[in-house]
Amino acid sequence: MTVRAFEYVRADDVGAAVAMVSADPAAQYLAGGTTQVDLMLKDGILEPERVVDITRLPLRGITADDRTLRVGALTTMEELAADPTVAGRLPFVRAALLAGASTQLRNMATIGGNLLQRTRCRYFRDPTVPDCNKRTPSTGCAAITGAGARMHAILGAGETCIALHASDLCVPLVALDTVVRVRGIEGERRIPLTEFYVLPGDRPDIETVLRHGDLVTGIEIPLPPAATRSGYLKVRDRASYEFALVSVAAALTVQGGTVTEARLGLGGVGTIPWRARAAEQILTGAPATVQTYRAAAEAELRDPFTVPGTAFKPELARRTIVRALAELGGGEA
Amino acid sequence: MTMTRPVIVGAGVDRVDGPLKVAGAAPYSSDIDLPGMAHVALVRSTIAAGRVTRLDTGAAEQLPGVLAVLTHHNAPRLATGPATNLGPTPPPPLQDDRVRHHGQYLAVVVAEKPYQASAAARAVTVEYEREEPVLRIEDPAGEVRTDPFGMDSARGDSAGALAAAEVVHEATYVTAENTNNPLGLFATVAQWSGGRLTVHDATQWTSNTCQTLAQMFGVPESAVRVHAKYVGGAFGSGLRVWPHVVLAVMAARTVGRPVKLVLSRPEMFTGVGHRPNTVQSLRLGAARDGRLVAIEHEALQTVAMDDENMEPVASASASAYACPNVTTRDRQRRLNIPCPGSMRAPGEAQANFALESALDELSYLLDMDPLDLRLRNYAEVQPQFGLPWSSKALRECYQVGAERFGWSRRDRRIGAMRDGRWLVGYGVAGVSYLWWQVHCEARATVGRDGTAYVRSAATDIGTGTYTVMRQLSAELLGLELDQVRFDLGDSDMPWSPQAGGSGLTGALGNAVHAACRELIRAFLRTVVNDSASPLRGCTIDDVTVSGGRIHHRADGKLGESFVAILARHGLDELTADGVSDPPDPQEVGLAPAGAFAAKFVEVHVDPELGLLRVPRVVSVVDGGRILNEKLARSQIIGATVGGIGQAILEETVTDPRTGRIANANLGDYLVAVNADIGEIDVTFVGEPDRLTPVGTKGVGEVGLPGTAAAIANAVHHATGKRIRSLPITIDELLD
Ligand SMILES: Cc1cc2nc3c(=O)[nH]c(=O)nc-3n(C[C@H](O)[C@H](O)[C@H](O)COP(=O)(O)OP(=O)(O)OC[C@H]3O[C@@H](n4cnc5c(N)ncnc54)[C@H](O)[C@@H]3O)c2cc1C
Ligand code: SF4
Repeated sequence: MTVRAFEYVRADDVGAAVAMVSADPAAQYLAGGTTQVDLMLKDGILEPERVVDITRLPLRGITADDRTLRVGALTTMEELAADPTVAGRLPFVRAALLAGASTQLRNMATIGGNLLQRTRCRYFRDPTVPDCNKRTPSTGCAAITGAGARMHAILGAGETCIALHASDLCVPLVALDTVVRVRGIEGERRIPLTEFYVLPGDRPDIETVLRHGDLVTGIEIPLPPAATRSGYLKVRDRASYEFALVSVAAALTVQGGTVTEARLGLGGVGTIPWRARAAEQILTGAPATVQTYRAAAEAELRDPFTVPGTAFKPELARRTIVRALAELGGGEA
Repeated sequence: MTMTRPVIVGAGVDRVDGPLKVAGAAPYSSDIDLPGMAHVALVRSTIAAGRVTRLDTGAAEQLPGVLAVLTHHNAPRLATGPATNLGPTPPPPLQDDRVRHHGQYLAVVVAEKPYQASAAARAVTVEYEREEPVLRIEDPAGEVRTDPFGMDSARGDSAGALAAAEVVHEATYVTAENTNNPLGLFATVAQWSGGRLTVHDATQWTSNTCQTLAQMFGVPESAVRVHAKYVGGAFGSGLRVWPHVVLAVMAARTVGRPVKLVLSRPEMFTGVGHRPNTVQSLRLGAARDGRLVAIEHEALQTVAMDDENMEPVASASASAYACPNVTTRDRQRRLNIPCPGSMRAPGEAQANFALESALDELSYLLDMDPLDLRLRNYAEVQPQFGLPWSSKALRECYQVGAERFGWSRRDRRIGAMRDGRWLVGYGVAGVSYLWWQVHCEARATVGRDGTAYVRSAATDIGTGTYTVMRQLSAELLGLELDQVRFDLGDSDMPWSPQAGGSGLTGALGNAVHAACRELIRAFLRTVVNDSASPLRGCTIDDVTVSGGRIHHRADGKLGESFVAILARHGLDELTADGVSDPPDPQEVGLAPAGAFAAKFVEVHVDPELGLLRVPRVVSVVDGGRILNEKLARSQIIGATVGGIGQAILEETVTDPRTGRIANANLGDYLVAVNADIGEIDVTFVGEPDRLTPVGTKGVGEVGLPGTAAAIANAVHHATGKRIRSLPITIDELLD
């Protein structure tokens, strides 16, 4: 355990918090702290000089109309999972939440924090490892040659970085075209979740389109049509309290044996929460059969980037997609 | 004297330390705070092999609150510790500039506050001259030690028997490195005053910690006192005096104040041992009817460059089955790794996986039920000594287990059983646990208020020693439970061996037995010429105890209470010491038996997604006399959970380039959680062991081995896949 001295500030006004962090490159937000405190105090890879606690800001709560569910950024994962609209209309969001972390963590962890959780890459999280492009640009990537890269990404990954975005919640959210509400010094913006994250490319250290000091104030989840069936399937060795090796969030509308709408998100495989657009394209308008699901899965995993530790993941991902879709849409031979 | 009816002993008495622990009021060593106490943080190596060329502590020393920074430049030279029955003491830290593993301690910072110490530890800069580390068990660059324990064995002619055997099975089995991960972080609080040292430690062995620290720091043992009243688990990691304990003592002496050192979770991965990984080759030869004609078991395990680990693996196979031709060989490869150490069922956990998997494979070659194959080769007498076992109910374990599990419902065809999408497999494994017992001492006192105080320097690492020894003392002295206090965890008390090797309950139980008998003798001596006493002239064989009284065996009314004797003789109390030593097998004509067990496991496998679940484990255990059914059952349950972890989850991952442990935290190192555990059924069978008066056999470890093999065997039954390496994970099960 290592600690460097920092100043702790409790924010009670959204504008003031944004102004304070935007003006100070060494300031960082603290929400539930389940990522932030680990990285500061246990791993010692974040060293803010000032920590701005946003948990008292009035950004907690859930409202819904027929079309949209609005969730404040400081709503906890448990609160969102318990919401009746989520249970009724977004069962796969609830399933993804409850398949994540542990009850204790979910009681602390916020929705804004979940979107912005940092990768679990074991090389990123150890300051004694010098080569990590995400932590220090242009130093290389220890994970690519290292051991135990099972928990790494195969989509959106490359030689510069294979770090996984490990959120479960973001998998159905990205499939649903969720919108992120952001407050910056210049005011409010609405950013689709599908455009919120940035692939590692040459700069794995840049993870989102946010600017320093931007505050996530909430998310807006469009509610799917009543006929949509959705499910979340998470595959992992440990039956609980483990991140996904592969997960699939699927929402299907099937009419007369044909898929009329398909939304598909993948977890455990992407450097960002993965929207499976290639698969969706194949699914839409096609017969709801296992052949279609398999073709969709093949299309999405046409060109994975694997290292020895992740070599098994493309096939596991394909099968998990097929299983998730078959459970919703039927069509098993 | 005979033992009274076992009403107190055997009963499922609740743990006497339970309420304190649940209330958070049991003081573990990390809870000890002393006035004026300073705090210690450690600087660890970030390379695995080489030399420290520069260690700059200047910046750290300037930081607020820092009292001292110790490195190999200014640390006092220490003597090496004593050798124990587990081998040598780990070498003292900070004695030279060599780096032998990633995570090795290079400096110690002492400061007023814990956060000041850790901030200063980060400010220490280290420069190295790197050498190429040797990190993999297959790496020929690592020196190999042959027969490191002097326990290699050979009987008959295994090579010849294999060559002539009708059926031969040969395969290599691999087990991963596991880390003990007790919940409680190890902590040491050390205080010197006037040349005397007091230590509060998370140790399984106060007597040895006392002797070791005395020897290393050059003070008499009588000047050192080690307390370990409560230990937050250890699973073997508290058996040795690890370098951090020595560093805390060194730091306290340097700053002349009490200090506290609490290891972090990552430090627990490099500083207190781990189960070494193994590569084992097995060759079994059998006749067509299933009789084993040859067993060859060779095991290679890992060990550190500069330390030792007593962990016989292959030798366990020498006594498991009746087989005339058996060869076992152990080897260790030296690597630049933190030293391995005991972890619940050391050696056995790895060996049993190999042997019991191999037997299962052989059963398919013979087209025989795997349970029948085990019974066919049942060792009626101890096969190495040719002596009858002091007790053995393994056959009953198999029989009762098969019945409770429903083994007869097993469809022998592979992949024939299903539960919806899941393939269902049944697997079995047998366990013949090694016997381990050593010298132990205890002291018993009965006072004028009629209560007893019994104690020993032993430790209770969460297994229930406080409870069972109080039960046993109460029975032996004819008192109620609440009239007895049993205390432990203090090296000033009579010498005790480690809480390890499933040997403490036996050794301590027999020492307590001896002490209580001695105490009754002391009472009888007091009244030997006392005309007022109905016990005058009695010997211990004439009497028994109950209700706080010693009385004639034949006539319960003829006797008197402890209190009456003490009062009439003007005594405040009487005290007696007891000693137990392991019996010599040849002398008694019995082969000492450890516990035996049979494990029956059901697994479910989703072959498409590679998912593996273990909904059911049936364990039947011959643990000799069971002192407390509830606590013994908890031991088997906990060990089974550990075995499931070993089988399907646990793996300490070392980075192959740097030697850094990549998953040194409880988020990334996967232990089994509730959702991984289904039904665990535990039954005890068998009789009190004949070798000792108390008749126990240890049950702390026997529940773990067998689990992994039975799971692997069940996976094969379900899927046809033979997984010979642990843990068994999704990627290996994908069709
Ligand atoms: C052991 C463990 C297991 C876990 N398992 C899972 C799992 O299985 N599935 C899963 O999905 N997640 C899992 N998590 C991750 C967990 O869900 C996240 O840590 C949590 O959601 C983060 O939320 P928080 O409120 O604690 O964020 P914090 O830790 O407070 O913050 C996280 C980051 O986001 C920034 N931040 C927070 N809120 C805002 C905001 N409103 N605006 C701008 N920036 C902000 C912080 O500065 C920080 O950089 C696990 C975590 C742990 C520790
Ligand atoms: S995968 Fe990314 S985060 Fe991990 S070590 Fe490589 S660059 Fe760093």
